[in-house]
Amino acid sequence: MERSDVRSLYLLAAFLVCAYAMPFLVGAWAGTVRLDERWLGNLATVVVGGVMQGGVYAMFALGLTLIFGVMRIINAAHGEMVMMGAYLTWVAFFYLGVDPLLSIVLTLPIAFVFGVVVQKLLLDAAVGAPELTGLLITFGLGLAMIYTAELIFTTDFRTIPYAPGTVQLTSAIAVGQNRVISFVLAVAISTAVYLFLKLSRLGKAVRATALNAEVAMVCGIDVRRIYLITTGLAAALAVAGGALVSIQFGFNPETGVLYTLQAFAIIVLGGRGHYVGALIGGLMLAVLENLVSLMVPNGTAMVELAAYGLMISVLLIRPGGLMGVKEG
Amino acid sequence: MTRVEHLRNLALLGACAVALAILPHALTVYLRSFVLFTMMYVVLALSWNIISGFTGYTSFGHVAFYGIGAYACAILVADYRWHWLPTLGVGAVLAAVVGVGIGYPVLRLKGPYFAIAMLGAAEGTRVVATVWDGLTHGGLGISLPSAETSLETYDAMLVLMLLTIVVAYGVGHSRFGVRLNAIREDEVAAEALGINATLYKLAAFVLSAVFPAVAGGIQAYKVLYIDPPSVFFVQITIAMALMSMLGGKGTVIGPIVGAMLLYTAQELTWVNFPTAHLIAYGLFIVLVARFMPRGLMGFAIDRGWVRKGMIH
Amino acid sequence: MRSTRGSSSSGSDSNQRETSTHGGLGMKTAAILAFAGALAALFVLGVGTGWAGHRPNNEVLVGGAISQTGQYAEPAGRQVYSIKLWVDEVNARGGLLGHTIVLRLLDDKSDIQTSIKLYEKLITEDKVDLLLAPYSSGITEAVANVNERYKMPFLAYGASSTPIWEKGRRYIFNIVAVAEDYQKGAVHLARQIGVTKAAIIGQDSLFPRQAGKGAKDWCKKLGIDVVLEENYPTKQTDFTALLQKIKAADAEAVFSNSYFADSAAQLRQMRELNLNFKLYSSTIGPSLPNFPEQLGATAEYVLGFSQWEPLPKVLGHPGMQEYIERYEKRFGEKPNYHAGGAYGALQVTEAALKKVGSFDNEKLRDALATMEVQTIYGRYKVDARGMNSHEGLTFQVLRGQRRVVWPEKWAETRAELPTPEWSKR
Repeated sequence: MERSDVRSLYLLAAFLVCAYAMPFLVGAWAGTVRLDERWLGNLATVVVGGVMQGGVYAMFALGLTLIFGVMRIINAAHGEMVMMGAYLTWVAFFYLGVDPLLSIVLTLPIAFVFGVVVQKLLLDAAVGAPELTGLLITFGLGLAMIYTAELIFTTDFRTIPYAPGTVQLTSAIAVGQNRVISFVLAVAISTAVYLFLKLSRLGKAVRATALNAEVAMVCGIDVRRIYLITTGLAAALAVAGGALVSIQFGFNPETGVLYTLQAFAIIVLGGRGHYVGALIGGLMLAVLENLVSLMVPNGTAMVELAAYGLMISVLLIRPGGLMGVKEG
Repeated sequence: MTRVEHLRNLALLGACAVALAILPHALTVYLRSFVLFTMMYVVLALSWNIISGFTGYTSFGHVAFYGIGAYACAILVADYRWHWLPTLGVGAVLAAVVGVGIGYPVLRLKGPYFAIAMLGAAEGTRVVATVWDGLTHGGLGISLPSAETSLETYDAMLVLMLLTIVVAYGVGHSRFGVRLNAIREDEVAAEALGINATLYKLAAFVLSAVFPAVAGGIQAYKVLYIDPPSVFFVQITIAMALMSMLGGKGTVIGPIVGAMLLYTAQELTWVNFPTAHLIAYGLFIVLVARFMPRGLMGFAIDRGWVRKGMIH
Repeated sequence: MRSTRGSSSSGSDSNQRETSTHGGLGMKTAAILAFAGALAALFVLGVGTGWAGHRPNNEVLVGGAISQTGQYAEPAGRQVYSIKLWVDEVNARGGLLGHTIVLRLLDDKSDIQTSIKLYEKLITEDKVDLLLAPYSSGITEAVANVNERYKMPFLAYGASSTPIWEKGRRYIFNIVAVAEDYQKGAVHLARQIGVTKAAIIGQDSLFPRQAGKGAKDWCKKLGIDVVLEENYPTKQTDFTALLQKIKAADAEAVFSNSYFADSAAQLRQMRELNLNFKLYSSTIGPSLPNFPEQLGATAEYVLGFSQWEPLPKVLGHPGMQEYIERYEKRFGEKPNYHAGGAYGALQVTEAALKKVGSFDNEKLRDALATMEVQTIYGRYKVDARGMNSHEGLTFQVLRGQRRVVWPEKWAETRAELPTPEWSKR
């Protein structure tokens, strides 16, 4: 690491400390922070809830950061792929009676093939092109996916009533069953992807391509094939994220864009192409959102502001994000 | 490019201006609105093109300035009883100030990071417009006092469009424009040649922020009801980019042609094919970006139909 | 880092010096052909099926722009069903004043700008004889300026925000209950079970905020203390912190001005966090047909508001039974209140036209302003602002069914309140 790089990391750390202190300070000033047992219980519940939520956020971000890392393409259709996953899971549950978690096994291959086709037909042309090309291609793809879904499923909201009960961690801290399940699954899948990239031969090839496609090519790596696998994997991760969406939230064809925006914020925070960073970024974003919502007066309206503020600030302080290297 | 050519182009523009100024009296109100919104998209695409086409910084959040202009107009007209024309100036100044505020830090970012940061900035502006209840009435939106607006707003949009074209043309043919191109091609080299890239980029950014703000203000007075989701609509940014790309970004004529073509095509289809039209629109974006990243103008230049210098 | 690409947006997009990056000439030509073909197809499709602009004398053109895509497509779509049903029925019984109706229904994509442009088109270009209303308060607010300018009246069935009718407009009338009354029944029920502290939360947009304002006023009138009032962004999905905050404020009842996604998330998270309130009421979510089915047991005991329900025995409006049967036969589901409201408005319009005897807009306006009509939706009689005093109803989801619990004259059953604890639902 260069000196300036270390400095920007410290700066970022200092900024994040301030960002997390902010809701407490505002809350103390507005009198919403009370240091009694009940309030601390609330705080703990909210932090735990944020961590659980963060795991799911990380699932959204993993696929995005993978494509961005390897091909420098911002996949604006990512949220729609998440939405596709939610619908696939919903169809499997309501029409075939398949358990939402089990159905991931069924939907992942479909998603992988979808990703490969998208890469082959569309994204190969965007690799190395100006960022607008990839952005527009994926945005257009997203629109087509949204309205195709509307044609099939209408704009009615759907959701799956799955594991709706509560888990009482302590007498003061409760958390939803499906959230725990989602969190565990998200962490398991993230870890599996991480191990795949770190240990397997193919995974190493993916990482090499991400680092430098030209050198990877010279070393005999079939870069085109790596791209196919990358997008296939990213689509599969998005669809797995969609399964988690379907058991937690109501969704319709137009909700996907929300997940895209959240994923953008997370990969910026965590660092482009960093899989552990995505997990950390997801946790940090979700916890911050919950803290703001809990303590700032009318704070739930400010949640988005906090998320975008965090994203832009991190970009400005250290474009590479928490785990990334200096870049700009 | 010779002086004669400049004069000829100016004469052409003048002829178009006269035709467009006479036109509305021969049109139904609906067609008048249609031409008005087409002109609006010409303004938007051309302005976006100054920062993203000429200078190569892909702004994915330009709708922020459009929204700021719309809110400046709506607040001043509805709550402070201003005449609507001066509010356009306020919107422009406000957009310029915000443009400096956003542009100065964010223009240090490159490529996709700039695009994401601008997207965040636009969404952030929308959230501010929603949360700042005392000023903007938040999610309630603002309803402007009703007025006969179809001719006034048409004329205002026409003037704005002519102004934008002249400025874009002027930029494209000036040393300023050449330097912006140099920054796009290789920023490091441009700086080595003594170009103050930071200053030039910021100037281009602010210039490209001002016109959309005025367009947003006129739009607000035309539509008479605005709320945050409708004026900070991310698809407006997409339309700017797509229109520029379709016509040929980095040229002056390209975004104009792109805006007219795309807006007309949309108008002809959406009325009759609600959902199918939107799927087609999505696929159309994909096709243009996939197969014609240099747009119609790039295609024409390749074929030797248009001389390079002429349309630039 | 890699320097060859990504480090800057290097100028491969320059029009000045780039040579083709995507293969040879053949591919380019093919791409151009494909592109030109797509464009040509769009034009042909558009023009070919466009409105010809000529119609015989025995036809009458009825037109409106209503969202068939975008965020309002779901509720608006059910109004489209009712409109189509009405048009076919009227034509089957000999038309409007002897004229066959030709329906011109456009899609505004849930977008305000598009909507006003389409209404200008309908009025000045298609020259429709009768105007239909759009959907949503925001779009209606914008469109109201257009039809006012051309003195074309319409009866709104998709807007319930009072401010639209407080600007002295003459050509817009309303049939539905106002947003401010959506929580009226729920607040009354809360009062009955002795709630003294309540929280009011809702999405930050025009309609939910009006509903929230109404809820607050009703709470004040009935002596319920509003201990927390908070808006949230339209796409908020995580309510953990907000719910904790409500609990911390000791609220006993939650009045949520919400749609499907947000009310579903709130209920689920209340259950997950084991937060028990005596009463939870949502404005829109529970009234959507698939709400109880999609949420299962979590939807139990929830209060919701409905402008109208397909319950002829309960409401007893004339013609309800027949309408419901015809609707169900054609569309395979029972009409919800959006559908009912649209149909009621069309009945009023038809009655007004019959009274006037011609398609004279000024006379139609006067008739809409003064007449009293009984419809399947209820009584129609507007005040000086043009607003109907329609009365809605409050229902509770009980064992998967929506049962009317308020007002008492229509109550099918007693409200089962306070809500049992989550462990007992």
